[in-house]
Amino acid sequence: MDNKIIDKTEIENKHKKVGIVSCSGENLPEGSISRLATLEVLLKQKPFNTTTICLPLYVAGGEGDRMFAKNYPTITVDGCEKLCAKKATEKFSGKVTHSINVKDFIKEGENLTNRRNLNDKEKEIAKRVADEIEKNVDKILKEGQD
Amino acid sequence: MSRDKKVIVIPCSGIGKPIGTVSRETTHEIIENLAKDKAETVCLAALTSGDEETIEKVKNNYVITLDGCAKHCAQKNVEQYGKTPDKNYMILKFAAANPDKKPQGLIDIGNSGKALVDTISDKIAKDVEDLTKNKKVTEKENNH
Repeated sequence: MDNKIIDKTEIENKHKKVGIVSCSGENLPEGSISRLATLEVLLKQKPFNTTTICLPLYVAGGEGDRMFAKNYPTITVDGCEKLCAKKATEKFSGKVTHSINVKDFIKEGENLTNRRNLNDKEKEIAKRVADEIEKNVDKILKEGQD
Repeated sequence: MSRDKKVIVIPCSGIGKPIGTVSRETTHEIIENLAKDKAETVCLAALTSGDEETIEKVKNNYVITLDGCAKHCAQKNVEQYGKTPDKNYMILKFAAANPDKKPQGLIDIGNSGKALVDTISDKIAKDVEDLTKNKKVTEKENNH
């Protein structure tokens, strides 16, 4: 095993970050998918190039929290057509760079039933959404280099 | 009239900490199992974004907020509309009081995290019962 200690500051300087803000909607399965997809990207698919904020901190937090979308190009991930993550980010913080709605990644005939303990089909949809987030993270990072 | 009221349980669902996952899991345990006829949830993000339907629901029912940390996001997002939660809990305090029930991760909190969810859910299910019976719930109990 490689025991080298990672210098977090060095990593942060090397890797530009994209913000991802999930609605995490508690009242519907799509909110759980939004949250899982966001975590998959943050923790596994793009850990060094992404960061996040708890959405309700826009109200509960301070000015620094509300600077999020000004500090990072931001992708919002919403579970339904209310687009709460997008609306709240644009209301309190700044314009979002890209907006994703989980509903757009559900195929005809795919019925979601679980708000917790997502089944294999629901996890598969979350993976589709995560891949879409990752694709847009890469696009934003590439555009930043041009 | 108040007997028709439901209890709206609102977790912070904090995305950066396992304790946020515990708040979310606890809510789902209450509304889907322990008190499914008396309790519901709403999306906290809908309060942050100002969704009218969600604001009305919160104003017209009992509310219990579950916050993961001292930022009290769920509580403050309710209070911005002039509604004081009937109860507010901070999950971190339950975690501190139950060091053997530690959530293991952000996505999967593991068996010890689930044990913490069960402990908190039992307490809140009792609050739901009391509120819907219109029993007075002591504010000082908000110490958790």
